[in-house]
Amino acid sequence: MRGLRRALRLMRVFIGATISAQLEYRANFLGALMGTLVATGTSLFALGLVLGQPGTTGVGGWTLREALLVTAFYLLTSGFIAVFIRPNMSKIAEAVRTGNMDFTLLKPIDAQLNVSTRNVDILRFPDLLIGAGLMVYAASGLTITASGMLGGTLLYLSSLVIVYCIWLALSTTAFWFVKTQNATELFQGVFSAARFPSTAFPAPVRAFLTVVVPIAFITTVPAQALLGRLTLTQALASPLVAAVLFAATRWFWLKAVGSYTSASS
Amino acid sequence: MAEYRAEIIIWMFSGTLSLVMMLVWMAQADAAPGGQVRGYSPEEFAGYFLSIWVVSQLMVVWVSWEIDYAIRQGQLSPQLLRPLDPIWPHFIGHVTERFVRALPMFALVFVFTLLTGAKFTTQWWAYPAAFGLVTLGFTARFLWEYTLGLLAFWTENTTSFQEVVWLIYAALGGMLAPLTFLPDWAQAIARWTPFPYMLGLPAQLLTGKATPDQALHGAAILAGWLVLFWFVRLWVWRRGLSRYGAVGA
Repeated sequence: MRGLRRALRLMRVFIGATISAQLEYRANFLGALMGTLVATGTSLFALGLVLGQPGTTGVGGWTLREALLVTAFYLLTSGFIAVFIRPNMSKIAEAVRTGNMDFTLLKPIDAQLNVSTRNVDILRFPDLLIGAGLMVYAASGLTITASGMLGGTLLYLSSLVIVYCIWLALSTTAFWFVKTQNATELFQGVFSAARFPSTAFPAPVRAFLTVVVPIAFITTVPAQALLGRLTLTQALASPLVAAVLFAATRWFWLKAVGSYTSASS
Repeated sequence: MAEYRAEIIIWMFSGTLSLVMMLVWMAQADAAPGGQVRGYSPEEFAGYFLSIWVVSQLMVVWVSWEIDYAIRQGQLSPQLLRPLDPIWPHFIGHVTERFVRALPMFALVFVFTLLTGAKFTTQWWAYPAAFGLVTLGFTARFLWEYTLGLLAFWTENTTSFQEVVWLIYAALGGMLAPLTFLPDWAQAIARWTPFPYMLGLPAQLLTGKATPDQALHGAAILAGWLVLFWFVRLWVWRRGLSRYGAVGA
Protein backbone atom coordinates (compact mmCIF):
# COMPACT_ATOMS: atom_id res chain seq x y z
CA MET A 1 0.00 0.00 0.00
CA ARG A 2 2.78 2.38 0.90
CA GLY A 3 4.52 1.37 -2.29
CA LEU A 4 1.47 2.27 -4.33
CA ARG A 5 1.11 5.64 -2.62
CA ARG A 6 4.75 6.36 -3.28
CA ALA A 7 4.34 5.38 -6.93
CA LEU A 8 1.36 7.72 -7.30
CA ARG A 9 3.24 10.58 -5.68
CA LEU A 10 6.19 10.05 -8.02
CA MET A 11 3.88 9.97 -11.03
CA ARG A 12 2.46 13.32 -9.94
CA VAL A 13 5.93 14.82 -9.69
CA PHE A 14 6.89 13.43 -13.11
CA ILE A 15 3.78 14.78 -14.78
CA GLY A 16 4.25 18.21 -13.22
CA ALA A 17 7.84 18.38 -14.45
CA THR A 18 7.07 17.30 -17.99
CA ILE A 19 4.12 19.70 -18.28
CA SER A 20 6.15 22.70 -17.21
CA ALA A 21 8.84 21.70 -19.71
CA GLN A 22 6.32 21.56 -22.54
CA LEU A 23 4.62 24.83 -21.76
CA GLU A 24 7.75 26.54 -23.01
CA TYR A 25 7.00 25.42 -26.53
CA ARG A 26 3.52 26.77 -26.92
CA ALA A 27 3.83 27.27 -30.67
CA ASN A 28 3.60 23.51 -31.08
CA PHE A 29 0.08 23.66 -29.78
CA LEU A 30 -1.35 24.64 -33.15
CA GLY A 31 0.45 21.72 -34.74
CA ALA A 32 -0.86 19.26 -32.19
CA LEU A 33 -4.36 20.65 -32.66
CA MET A 34 -4.18 19.92 -36.37
CA GLY A 35 -3.02 16.39 -35.59
CA THR A 36 -6.08 15.96 -33.40
CA LEU A 37 -8.30 17.33 -36.15
CA VAL A 38 -6.94 14.84 -38.66
CA ALA A 39 -7.37 11.86 -36.35
CA THR A 40 -10.96 12.81 -35.53
CA GLY A 41 -11.84 13.79 -39.09
CA THR A 42 -10.60 10.53 -40.60
CA SER A 43 -12.55 8.39 -38.15
CA LEU A 44 -15.82 10.29 -38.42
CA PHE A 45 -15.66 10.62 -42.19
CA ALA A 46 -14.95 6.90 -42.61
CA LEU A 47 -17.84 5.93 -40.36
CA GLY A 48 -20.18 8.46 -41.96
CA LEU A 49 -19.40 7.16 -45.43
CA VAL A 50 -20.03 3.53 -44.54
CA LEU A 51 -23.32 4.29 -42.82
CA GLY A 52 -24.40 7.01 -45.25
CA GLN A 53 -25.03 4.69 -48.19
CA PRO A 54 -28.63 4.26 -49.29
CA GLY A 55 -30.20 1.16 -47.78
CA THR A 56 -27.53 0.83 -45.10
CA THR A 57 -28.85 0.82 -41.56
CA GLY A 58 -25.84 -0.37 -39.67
CA VAL A 59 -22.31 -1.64 -39.72
CA GLY A 60 -21.81 -5.19 -38.51
CA GLY A 61 -25.16 -5.04 -36.70
CA TRP A 62 -24.41 -1.72 -34.97
CA THR A 63 -26.49 1.39 -35.60
CA LEU A 64 -24.85 4.75 -36.22
CA ARG A 65 -25.05 5.84 -32.58
CA GLU A 66 -23.75 2.53 -31.33
CA ALA A 67 -20.89 2.47 -33.81
CA LEU A 68 -20.12 6.06 -32.83
CA LEU A 69 -19.59 4.77 -29.31
CA VAL A 70 -16.87 2.46 -30.62
CA THR A 71 -15.28 5.33 -32.56
CA ALA A 72 -15.36 7.42 -29.38
CA PHE A 73 -13.53 4.67 -27.51
CA TYR A 74 -11.06 4.53 -30.40
CA LEU A 75 -10.37 8.27 -30.29
CA LEU A 76 -10.12 8.20 -26.51
CA THR A 77 -7.61 5.36 -26.71
CA SER A 78 -5.51 6.94 -29.43
CA GLY A 79 -5.53 10.09 -27.32
CA PHE A 80 -4.38 8.05 -24.34
CA ILE A 81 -1.59 6.61 -26.49
CA ALA A 82 -0.55 10.05 -27.73
CA VAL A 83 -0.64 11.66 -24.30
CA PHE A 84 0.63 8.98 -21.94
CA ILE A 85 2.12 6.04 -23.81
CA ARG A 86 4.00 7.10 -26.92
CA PRO A 87 6.01 9.92 -25.27
CA ASN A 88 7.41 7.36 -22.83
CA MET A 89 7.79 4.29 -24.97
CA SER A 90 9.48 6.06 -27.84
CA LYS A 91 12.29 7.01 -25.45
CA ILE A 92 13.13 3.46 -24.39
CA ALA A 93 14.89 2.61 -27.64
CA GLU A 94 16.81 5.87 -27.52
CA ALA A 95 17.89 5.25 -23.92
CA VAL A 96 19.09 1.75 -24.74
CA ARG A 97 21.02 2.95 -27.78
CA THR A 98 22.79 5.78 -25.99
CA GLY A 99 23.29 3.93 -22.71
CA ASN A 100 21.15 6.41 -20.78
CA MET A 101 19.16 3.45 -19.52
CA ASP A 102 21.97 3.10 -16.94
CA PHE A 103 20.65 6.09 -15.04
CA THR A 104 17.11 4.80 -15.04
CA LEU A 105 18.18 1.43 -13.71
CA LEU A 106 20.29 2.99 -10.96
CA LYS A 107 17.44 5.02 -9.52
CA PRO A 108 15.81 3.70 -6.33
CA ILE A 109 12.40 3.31 -7.94
CA ASP A 110 11.12 0.55 -10.12
CA ALA A 111 12.57 1.01 -13.59
CA GLN A 112 9.38 -0.05 -15.39
CA LEU A 113 7.39 2.53 -13.44
CA ASN A 114 9.96 5.16 -14.27
CA VAL A 115 10.12 4.54 -18.03
CA SER A 116 6.33 4.28 -18.22
CA THR A 117 5.33 7.46 -16.42
CA ARG A 118 8.19 9.89 -16.86
CA ASN A 119 6.72 11.83 -19.81
CA VAL A 120 3.33 13.20 -20.81
CA ASP A 121 2.48 14.98 -24.05
CA ILE A 122 -0.13 17.45 -22.85
CA LEU A 123 -0.43 19.05 -26.27
CA ARG A 124 -2.46 16.05 -27.41
CA PHE A 125 -4.80 16.41 -24.44
CA PRO A 126 -7.62 17.70 -26.71
CA ASP A 127 -7.73 14.20 -28.22
CA LEU A 128 -8.97 12.92 -24.88
CA LEU A 129 -11.57 15.69 -24.63
CA ILE A 130 -12.87 15.01 -28.13
CA GLY A 131 -13.07 11.29 -27.43
CA ALA A 132 -14.98 11.92 -24.21
CA GLY A 133 -17.27 14.49 -25.85
CA LEU A 134 -18.12 12.16 -28.68
CA MET A 135 -18.83 9.42 -26.16
CA VAL A 136 -21.31 11.65 -24.33
CA TYR A 137 -22.95 12.64 -27.62
CA ALA A 138 -23.27 9.03 -28.78
CA ALA A 139 -24.54 7.88 -25.40
CA SER A 140 -27.13 10.66 -25.18
CA GLY A 141 -29.18 9.02 -27.95
CA LEU A 142 -28.98 5.54 -26.45
CA THR A 143 -30.41 3.99 -23.33
CA ILE A 144 -27.56 3.21 -21.01
CA THR A 145 -28.12 1.70 -17.61
CA ALA A 146 -26.02 2.38 -14.52
CA SER A 147 -24.72 -1.17 -14.50
CA GLY A 148 -23.79 -0.80 -18.17
CA MET A 149 -21.88 2.34 -17.38
CA LEU A 150 -20.05 0.68 -14.51
CA GLY A 151 -19.22 -2.35 -16.62
CA GLY A 152 -18.08 -0.18 -19.52
CA THR A 153 -15.80 1.89 -17.31
CA LEU A 154 -14.24 -1.14 -15.66
CA LEU A 155 -13.72 -2.93 -18.95
CA TYR A 156 -12.24 0.19 -20.50
CA LEU A 157 -9.67 0.24 -17.71
CA SER A 158 -8.59 -3.22 -18.73
CA SER A 159 -8.47 -1.95 -22.34
CA LEU A 160 -5.96 0.68 -21.28
CA VAL A 161 -3.90 -1.95 -19.50
CA ILE A 162 -3.93 -4.07 -22.68
CA VAL A 163 -2.80 -1.12 -24.80
CA TYR A 164 -0.07 -0.25 -22.34
CA CYS A 165 1.19 -3.84 -22.22
CA ILE A 166 1.33 -4.20 -26.00
CA TRP A 167 3.27 -0.96 -26.36
CA LEU A 168 5.64 -1.79 -23.53
CA ALA A 169 6.27 -5.28 -24.89
CA LEU A 170 6.99 -3.92 -28.37
CA SER A 171 9.23 -1.19 -27.01
CA THR A 172 11.05 -3.59 -24.71
CA THR A 173 12.34 -5.45 -27.75
CA ALA A 174 14.63 -2.41 -28.05
CA PHE A 175 16.95 -4.10 -25.55
CA TRP A 176 17.82 -6.56 -28.30
CA PHE A 177 16.91 -4.88 -31.58
CA VAL A 178 17.64 -1.21 -30.74
CA LYS A 179 15.21 0.04 -33.39
CA THR A 180 11.58 -0.57 -32.44
CA GLN A 181 9.87 2.08 -34.51
CA ASN A 182 8.53 -0.34 -37.09
CA ALA A 183 7.05 -2.68 -34.51
CA THR A 184 4.97 0.04 -32.88
CA GLU A 185 3.99 1.41 -36.30
CA LEU A 186 2.70 -1.97 -37.23
CA PHE A 187 0.60 -2.05 -34.09
CA GLN A 188 -0.76 1.41 -34.87
CA GLY A 189 -1.69 0.11 -38.31
CA VAL A 190 -3.62 -2.84 -36.93
CA PHE A 191 -5.07 -0.65 -34.20
CA SER A 192 -6.63 1.62 -36.82
CA ALA A 193 -9.12 -1.22 -37.36
CA ALA A 194 -10.42 -0.56 -33.84
CA ARG A 195 -12.37 2.49 -35.01
CA PHE A 196 -15.04 0.06 -36.25
CA PRO A 197 -16.90 -2.54 -34.19
CA SER A 198 -15.16 -5.87 -34.59
CA THR A 199 -18.29 -7.37 -36.17
CA ALA A 200 -17.82 -4.96 -39.10
CA PHE A 201 -15.04 -7.23 -40.35
CA PRO A 202 -15.26 -10.57 -42.15
CA ALA A 203 -15.25 -13.51 -39.72
CA PRO A 204 -11.59 -14.63 -40.16
CA VAL A 205 -10.36 -11.07 -39.64
CA ARG A 206 -12.61 -10.71 -36.59
CA ALA A 207 -11.04 -13.83 -35.08
CA PHE A 208 -7.59 -12.42 -35.78
CA LEU A 209 -8.53 -9.15 -34.07
CA THR A 210 -9.75 -10.99 -30.99
CA VAL A 211 -7.30 -13.81 -30.53
CA VAL A 212 -4.00 -12.85 -32.18
CA VAL A 213 -3.99 -9.08 -31.55
CA PRO A 214 -6.60 -8.32 -28.89
CA ILE A 215 -7.88 -5.18 -30.65
CA ALA A 216 -11.53 -6.15 -30.19
CA PHE A 217 -11.13 -5.99 -26.41
CA ILE A 218 -9.89 -2.42 -26.57
CA THR A 219 -12.88 -0.64 -28.13
CA THR A 220 -15.67 -3.06 -29.02
CA VAL A 221 -15.96 -4.84 -25.68
CA PRO A 222 -16.30 -1.69 -23.52
CA ALA A 223 -18.89 -0.35 -25.97
CA GLN A 224 -20.82 -3.62 -25.78
CA ALA A 225 -20.71 -3.40 -22.00
CA LEU A 226 -22.10 0.14 -22.09
CA LEU A 227 -24.97 -1.08 -24.22
CA GLY A 228 -25.56 -3.98 -21.83
CA ARG A 229 -24.95 -6.56 -24.52
CA LEU A 230 -22.13 -8.41 -22.88
CA THR A 231 -22.43 -11.89 -21.44
CA LEU A 232 -20.62 -12.69 -18.20
CA THR A 233 -17.97 -14.83 -19.89
CA GLN A 234 -17.21 -12.05 -22.37
CA ALA A 235 -17.02 -9.56 -19.52
CA LEU A 236 -14.52 -11.73 -17.67
CA ALA A 237 -12.36 -12.37 -20.73
CA SER A 238 -11.14 -8.79 -21.05
CA PRO A 239 -9.71 -8.39 -17.51
CA LEU A 240 -8.26 -11.86 -17.85
CA VAL A 241 -6.46 -10.92 -21.07
CA ALA A 242 -5.27 -7.72 -19.40
CA ALA A 243 -3.96 -9.56 -16.33
CA VAL A 244 -2.17 -12.21 -18.37
CA LEU A 245 -0.63 -9.58 -20.63
CA PHE A 246 0.45 -7.50 -17.66
CA ALA A 247 2.17 -10.44 -15.97
CA ALA A 248 3.79 -11.52 -19.24
CA THR A 249 5.00 -7.99 -20.01
CA ARG A 250 6.39 -7.62 -16.51
CA TRP A 251 8.29 -10.86 -16.90
CA PHE A 252 9.51 -9.80 -20.34
CA TRP A 253 10.63 -6.43 -19.05
CA LEU A 254 12.59 -7.96 -16.17
CA LYS A 255 14.23 -10.42 -18.55
CA ALA A 256 15.15 -7.57 -20.90
CA VAL A 257 16.65 -5.50 -18.09
CA GLY A 258 18.53 -8.58 -16.94
CA SER A 259 20.18 -8.92 -20.32
CA TYR A 260 21.00 -5.21 -20.58
CA THR A 261 24.71 -4.62 -20.87
CA SER A 262 24.82 -0.83 -21.31
CA ALA A 263 26.01 0.88 -24.45
CA SER A 264 29.77 0.60 -24.28
CA SER A 265 30.15 -3.04 -23.35
CA MET B 1 12.11 13.19 -34.14
CA ALA B 2 10.23 14.92 -36.90
CA GLU B 3 11.69 12.38 -39.26
CA TYR B 4 10.47 9.54 -37.08
CA ARG B 5 7.00 11.03 -37.06
CA ALA B 6 7.05 10.96 -40.81
CA GLU B 7 7.65 7.24 -40.78
CA ILE B 8 4.96 6.65 -38.21
CA ILE B 9 2.27 8.58 -40.01
CA ILE B 10 3.11 7.30 -43.44
CA TRP B 11 3.11 3.72 -42.24
CA MET B 12 -0.02 4.11 -40.24
CA PHE B 13 -2.21 5.78 -42.80
CA SER B 14 -1.10 5.03 -46.30
CA GLY B 15 -0.20 1.55 -45.11
CA THR B 16 -3.35 0.19 -43.61
CA LEU B 17 -6.27 2.58 -43.84
CA SER B 18 -7.24 1.43 -47.33
CA LEU B 19 -6.97 -2.21 -46.25
CA VAL B 20 -9.13 -1.64 -43.17
CA MET B 21 -11.71 0.12 -45.33
CA MET B 22 -11.55 -2.75 -47.81
CA LEU B 23 -12.45 -5.29 -45.13
CA VAL B 24 -15.27 -3.16 -43.76
CA TRP B 25 -16.81 -2.57 -47.20
CA MET B 26 -16.46 -6.24 -48.13
CA ALA B 27 -18.37 -7.22 -44.99
CA GLN B 28 -20.97 -4.53 -45.67
CA ALA B 29 -21.54 -5.82 -49.21
CA ASP B 30 -21.73 -9.38 -47.91
CA ALA B 31 -24.41 -8.43 -45.40
CA ALA B 32 -26.41 -6.24 -47.76
CA PRO B 33 -29.47 -7.69 -49.51
CA GLY B 34 -28.32 -8.65 -53.01
CA GLY B 35 -24.70 -8.85 -51.85
CA GLN B 36 -23.85 -5.40 -53.22
CA VAL B 37 -23.44 -1.84 -52.03
CA ARG B 38 -24.00 0.67 -54.85
CA GLY B 39 -23.22 -1.98 -57.43
CA TYR B 40 -20.01 -3.15 -55.78
CA SER B 41 -19.73 -6.80 -54.79
CA PRO B 42 -17.21 -7.86 -52.10
CA GLU B 43 -14.75 -8.95 -54.82
CA GLU B 44 -15.05 -5.61 -56.58
CA PHE B 45 -14.46 -3.76 -53.32
CA ALA B 46 -11.37 -5.90 -52.81
CA GLY B 47 -10.10 -5.04 -56.28
CA TYR B 48 -10.78 -1.34 -55.83
CA PHE B 49 -9.11 -1.03 -52.43
CA LEU B 50 -6.13 -3.22 -53.31
CA SER B 51 -5.60 -0.93 -56.31
CA ILE B 52 -5.94 2.10 -54.05
CA TRP B 53 -3.39 0.53 -51.75
CA VAL B 54 -0.89 -0.01 -54.58
CA VAL B 55 -1.44 3.49 -55.96
CA SER B 56 -1.06 5.13 -52.56
CA GLN B 57 2.07 3.09 -51.88
CA LEU B 58 3.52 4.46 -55.10
CA MET B 59 2.61 7.97 -54.00
CA VAL B 60 4.22 7.93 -50.59
CA VAL B 61 6.18 11.18 -50.31
CA TRP B 62 8.15 12.27 -47.27
CA VAL B 63 10.00 15.19 -48.81
CA SER B 64 8.25 17.80 -46.64
CA TRP B 65 9.87 16.34 -43.53
CA GLU B 66 13.29 16.35 -45.18
CA ILE B 67 12.93 19.95 -46.33
CA ASP B 68 11.55 21.06 -42.98
CA TYR B 69 14.50 19.42 -41.23
CA ALA B 70 17.07 20.81 -43.66
CA ILE B 71 15.77 24.36 -43.26
CA ARG B 72 15.55 24.13 -39.49
CA GLN B 73 18.97 22.57 -39.03
CA GLY B 74 20.72 24.77 -41.55
CA GLN B 75 21.58 21.78 -43.73
CA LEU B 76 20.15 23.64 -46.65
CA SER B 77 23.23 25.84 -46.84
CA PRO B 78 25.64 23.30 -48.41
CA GLN B 79 22.87 22.25 -50.82
CA LEU B 80 22.56 25.85 -51.97
CA LEU B 81 26.22 25.90 -52.96
CA ARG B 82 25.66 23.25 -55.58
CA PRO B 83 24.85 24.41 -59.11
CA LEU B 84 21.59 22.47 -59.04
CA ASP B 85 18.17 23.18 -57.61
CA PRO B 86 17.97 21.09 -54.36
CA ILE B 87 14.66 19.66 -55.51
CA TRP B 88 16.30 17.21 -57.91
CA PRO B 89 18.25 15.01 -55.47
CA HIS B 90 15.05 14.65 -53.43
CA PHE B 91 13.01 13.79 -56.49
CA ILE B 92 15.49 11.19 -57.74
CA GLY B 93 15.64 9.69 -54.24
CA HIS B 94 11.89 9.29 -54.15
CA VAL B 95 11.73 7.76 -57.62
CA THR B 96 14.48 5.27 -56.79
CA GLU B 97 12.67 4.21 -53.65
CA ARG B 98 9.65 3.18 -55.76
CA PHE B 99 11.74 0.47 -57.40
CA VAL B 100 12.82 -0.89 -54.02
CA ARG B 101 9.23 -0.83 -52.81
CA ALA B 102 7.74 -2.46 -55.90
CA LEU B 103 8.79 -6.07 -55.35
CA PRO B 104 7.51 -6.66 -51.79
CA MET B 105 4.44 -4.61 -52.70
CA PHE B 106 3.42 -6.80 -55.61
CA ALA B 107 4.14 -9.93 -53.60
CA LEU B 108 1.72 -8.67 -50.94
CA VAL B 109 -0.90 -7.75 -53.54
CA PHE B 110 -0.68 -11.26 -54.95
CA VAL B 111 -1.29 -12.76 -51.51
CA PHE B 112 -4.14 -10.36 -50.74
CA THR B 113 -5.72 -11.09 -54.12
CA LEU B 114 -5.71 -14.80 -53.39
CA LEU B 115 -7.18 -14.24 -49.93
CA THR B 116 -9.92 -11.81 -50.93
CA GLY B 117 -10.77 -13.02 -54.43
CA ALA B 118 -10.23 -9.50 -55.76
CA LYS B 119 -11.11 -8.91 -59.40
CA PHE B 120 -9.05 -6.78 -61.77
CA THR B 121 -9.75 -5.78 -65.34
CA THR B 122 -8.54 -7.89 -68.27
CA GLN B 123 -8.28 -4.91 -70.61
CA TRP B 124 -4.56 -4.48 -71.21
CA TRP B 125 -4.70 -0.73 -71.89
CA ALA B 126 -5.96 -0.01 -68.40
CA TYR B 127 -2.59 -0.91 -66.89
CA PRO B 128 -0.37 1.53 -68.81
CA ALA B 129 -3.11 4.17 -68.44
CA ALA B 130 -3.18 3.72 -64.67
CA PHE B 131 0.60 3.79 -64.59
CA GLY B 132 0.62 7.08 -66.48
CA LEU B 133 -1.87 8.64 -64.09
CA VAL B 134 0.13 7.40 -61.11
CA THR B 135 3.29 8.94 -62.54
CA LEU B 136 1.58 12.29 -63.01
CA GLY B 137 -0.07 12.01 -59.61
CA PHE B 138 3.15 11.16 -57.83
CA THR B 139 4.91 14.13 -59.42
CA ALA B 140 2.07 16.46 -58.45
CA ARG B 141 2.05 15.16 -54.91
CA PHE B 142 5.81 15.50 -54.70
CA LEU B 143 5.58 19.14 -55.76
CA TRP B 144 2.87 20.11 -53.29
CA GLU B 145 4.58 18.26 -50.46
CA TYR B 146 7.83 20.01 -51.35
CA THR B 147 6.03 23.35 -51.23
CA LEU B 148 4.54 22.48 -47.83
CA GLY B 149 8.03 21.64 -46.60
CA LEU B 150 9.23 25.04 -47.80
CA LEU B 151 6.75 26.67 -45.43
CA ALA B 152 9.35 25.90 -42.75
CA PHE B 153 10.93 29.20 -43.81
CA TRP B 154 8.02 30.89 -42.06
CA THR B 155 6.38 28.48 -39.59
CA GLU B 156 7.24 25.58 -37.30
CA ASN B 157 4.10 23.62 -38.05
CA THR B 158 4.76 22.38 -41.59
CA THR B 159 4.33 18.74 -40.64
CA SER B 160 0.86 19.37 -39.26
CA PHE B 161 -0.16 21.22 -42.42
CA GLN B 162 1.07 18.17 -44.24
CA GLU B 163 -1.18 15.93 -42.12
CA VAL B 164 -4.24 18.07 -42.81
CA VAL B 165 -3.55 18.04 -46.55
CA TRP B 166 -3.12 14.28 -46.33
CA LEU B 167 -6.60 13.93 -44.83
CA ILE B 168 -8.17 15.90 -47.67
CA TYR B 169 -6.16 13.91 -50.21
CA ALA B 170 -7.29 10.61 -48.70
CA ALA B 171 -10.93 11.56 -48.24
CA LEU B 172 -11.51 13.24 -51.61
CA GLY B 173 -9.15 10.93 -53.47
CA GLY B 174 -11.19 7.84 -52.69
CA MET B 175 -9.18 6.05 -50.02
CA LEU B 176 -12.17 5.63 -47.73
CA ALA B 177 -14.69 4.76 -50.43
CA PRO B 178 -15.03 5.07 -54.23
CA LEU B 179 -15.73 8.66 -55.23
CA THR B 180 -19.36 8.00 -56.19
CA PHE B 181 -20.05 6.95 -52.59
CA LEU B 182 -19.30 10.44 -51.33
CA PRO B 183 -22.13 12.91 -50.72
CA ASP B 184 -22.84 15.10 -53.77
CA TRP B 185 -21.31 18.24 -52.30
CA ALA B 186 -18.08 16.37 -51.51
CA GLN B 187 -17.96 14.99 -55.06
CA ALA B 188 -18.45 18.48 -56.45
CA ILE B 189 -15.52 19.76 -54.38
CA ALA B 190 -13.40 16.74 -55.25
CA ARG B 191 -13.72 17.39 -58.98
CA TRP B 192 -11.99 20.72 -58.54
CA THR B 193 -8.99 19.08 -56.83
CA PRO B 194 -6.35 16.79 -58.34
CA PHE B 195 -7.00 14.09 -55.74
CA PRO B 196 -9.65 11.86 -57.37
CA TYR B 197 -7.69 11.73 -60.64
CA MET B 198 -4.51 10.50 -59.03
CA LEU B 199 -5.94 8.03 -56.49
CA GLY B 200 -9.48 6.93 -57.33
CA LEU B 201 -9.27 7.07 -61.12
CA PRO B 202 -6.28 4.72 -61.51
CA ALA B 203 -7.95 2.31 -59.10
CA GLN B 204 -11.16 2.42 -61.11
CA LEU B 205 -9.20 1.84 -64.30
CA LEU B 206 -7.58 -1.24 -62.79
CA THR B 207 -10.96 -2.63 -61.76
CA GLY B 208 -12.53 -1.93 -65.16
CA LYS B 209 -14.83 0.82 -63.94
CA ALA B 210 -13.43 3.70 -65.98
CA THR B 211 -13.18 4.39 -69.71
CA PRO B 212 -10.15 5.48 -71.79
CA ASP B 213 -11.82 8.87 -72.23
CA GLN B 214 -11.98 9.36 -68.49
CA ALA B 215 -8.32 8.41 -68.22
CA LEU B 216 -7.33 11.01 -70.83
CA HIS B 217 -9.52 13.64 -69.20
CA GLY B 218 -7.93 12.88 -65.81
CA ALA B 219 -4.44 13.00 -67.26
CA ALA B 220 -5.11 16.43 -68.78
CA ILE B 221 -6.38 17.79 -65.47
CA LEU B 222 -3.42 16.35 -63.57
CA ALA B 223 -1.02 17.86 -66.09
CA GLY B 224 -2.64 21.24 -65.50
CA TRP B 225 -2.23 20.90 -61.74
CA LEU B 226 1.35 19.79 -62.25
CA VAL B 227 2.20 23.01 -64.09
CA LEU B 228 0.43 25.07 -61.44
CA PHE B 229 2.22 23.30 -58.56
CA TRP B 230 5.55 23.76 -60.32
CA PHE B 231 5.13 27.52 -60.47
CA VAL B 232 3.77 27.79 -56.94
CA ARG B 233 6.74 25.79 -55.74
CA LEU B 234 9.14 28.08 -57.61
CA TRP B 235 7.49 31.20 -56.22
CA VAL B 236 7.48 29.95 -52.62
CA TRP B 237 11.10 28.81 -53.00
CA ARG B 238 12.29 32.25 -54.16
CA ARG B 239 10.32 34.07 -51.47
CA GLY B 240 11.55 31.66 -48.81
CA LEU B 241 15.20 31.83 -49.82
CA SER B 242 15.25 35.55 -49.26
CA ARG B 243 14.12 34.89 -45.68
CA TYR B 244 16.60 32.09 -45.08
CA GLY B 245 19.49 33.02 -42.82
CA ALA B 246 20.94 29.55 -42.15
CA VAL B 247 21.24 28.54 -38.52
CA GLY B 248 22.82 30.91 -36.09
CA ALA B 249 23.18 33.64 -38.67
